[in-house]
Amino acid sequence: MNWLSDNVNRLALLGAAAILIIVIGVVAKYFKQIKEGKSEGVLKEENWDGIGEYKNNSPIGWSLAFIGTIVWGVWYWLVGYPLNAYSQIGEYNKEVKAYQAKFESKWANPSKEDLLGMGEGVFLVQCSPCHGIDGTGIEGKAQDLTHRLLKKEVLDVIHRGSAALGNPNGQLGYPLGMMPPGLLSGADAEAVASYVAGGFKGSGKGADLFQNTCASCHGPDGRGMNGMAPNLREYDDTIVQHVLEHGKHGIIGRMPSFKGRLTPVQEKAVAVYIRSLSEGE
Amino acid sequence: MFSWLEKNPFFFAVGVFVVIAFAGLIEIVPDFAQQSRPVVGAKPYSLLELAGRQVYIKESCNACHSQLIRPFKSETDRYGMYSLNGEYAYDRPFLWGSKRTGPDLHRVGNYRTSDWHANHMWEPTSVVPGSIMPAYKHIFKNVADLETAYAEALTVKKVFNVPYDKDMNGDGKIDVPLGSFKQAKQRALQYALKVAQETKRKDLVDMVKQGKVPEIVALIAYLNRLK
Repeated sequence: MNWLSDNVNRLALLGAAAILIIVIGVVAKYFKQIKEGKSEGVLKEENWDGIGEYKNNSPIGWSLAFIGTIVWGVWYWLVGYPLNAYSQIGEYNKEVKAYQAKFESKWANPSKEDLLGMGEGVFLVQCSPCHGIDGTGIEGKAQDLTHRLLKKEVLDVIHRGSAALGNPNGQLGYPLGMMPPGLLSGADAEAVASYVAGGFKGSGKGADLFQNTCASCHGPDGRGMNGMAPNLREYDDTIVQHVLEHGKHGIIGRMPSFKGRLTPVQEKAVAVYIRSLSEGE
Repeated sequence: MFSWLEKNPFFFAVGVFVVIAFAGLIEIVPDFAQQSRPVVGAKPYSLLELAGRQVYIKESCNACHSQLIRPFKSETDRYGMYSLNGEYAYDRPFLWGSKRTGPDLHRVGNYRTSDWHANHMWEPTSVVPGSIMPAYKHIFKNVADLETAYAEALTVKKVFNVPYDKDMNGDGKIDVPLGSFKQAKQRALQYALKVAQETKRKDLVDMVKQGKVPEIVALIAYLNRLK
């Protein structure tokens, strides 16, 4: 009788025995009542074709439940439902709010490793379908994020200006506004483009022209004077944030805006991750 | 008073049904009618978009892709704002789908571009390495059926009063023109040319210039419209 050592089995057996005994007892009681019982009590005055009914008071438990339900009904109608009604959207808003609060407190001061990891996660979900999982732009289908600028891209912007590429007030909403088209042309444009795309190395015609024509907005080092104009040397936080907000319309095509889809910390993280792609070159 | 009704079980049953149905109607219909109004800014599909929608249905995109973003943070993070009833006001039928083998597409127009769609539909793994979606090369050759799309648009305009050729937002301009088939086709071809140029595929541009809209172009116009 090994199975009897188990408590649940013993309890089940005990329960079965109890049910059996109770059933036998109840059946015996009613059999006895049918055989020997006599009706008693005071009949009500009215009867239906000779069939009468005893006077019975409502049971106390039933009366309390009845009155309680009425009280609860009034409360539910006036307070319970109007003030506490469930709403799917309400629950969603609560969920988002709680998550944002947790996110902000957890990543109030993220380390560079945190940002890198977060940036990689966001990049793989939101950016990689176009820029590729390695960020190289899938053979020219999107911007190659391991380089800042290619020569043809610089030439395209010099030729068309930044307003022609999208936003009429300057494509990406930098404080210095739009870049006019055709600031340079021909061999001059070629020289500057080679200089910019080549990583601002060396001196000569390209470097001189850059200092004379481009540096007034983009800064003598091409870093955009602390966010006044686009940084031409690396993907700094500002340009990544601007592109995510405004989208981009360049020589390759149009990148949609990701406005409102990422938090400021996530945007920063994406910038950190994108910069990490071109490190070690 | 109603003993005559109790003697006629059939009419009594009809009476019970009417009473209960009436209670249901006054509870459900007003809310339903309110919720299913078009949201502010919702517009009917243009001819080309409607043709693309028919391609979407024909290729059974809705078997693997849903068009319904539920109000959960995990979904709104990935796909954007949750879907509202009124956004489907001009969908006949709506294409909610019931299974996500692929991702939701209800706002795909916000974060994908024409050239991406063309690359993806031609060879999905070229842009999404792990994708199990089949290639849809045949829709680059097939010509979209603008006649049927026009018939659908004209039908819903006449029967359901869908606001084609109307100024919906009160700025004095017609928001979604339809007009005669000739006008509508002309407009659809212009729109298709723009989309075809965005895909950067010469074969598509050439087809549109010959007056034939490839199914892929109509489909991309429809997908770009989903926002």
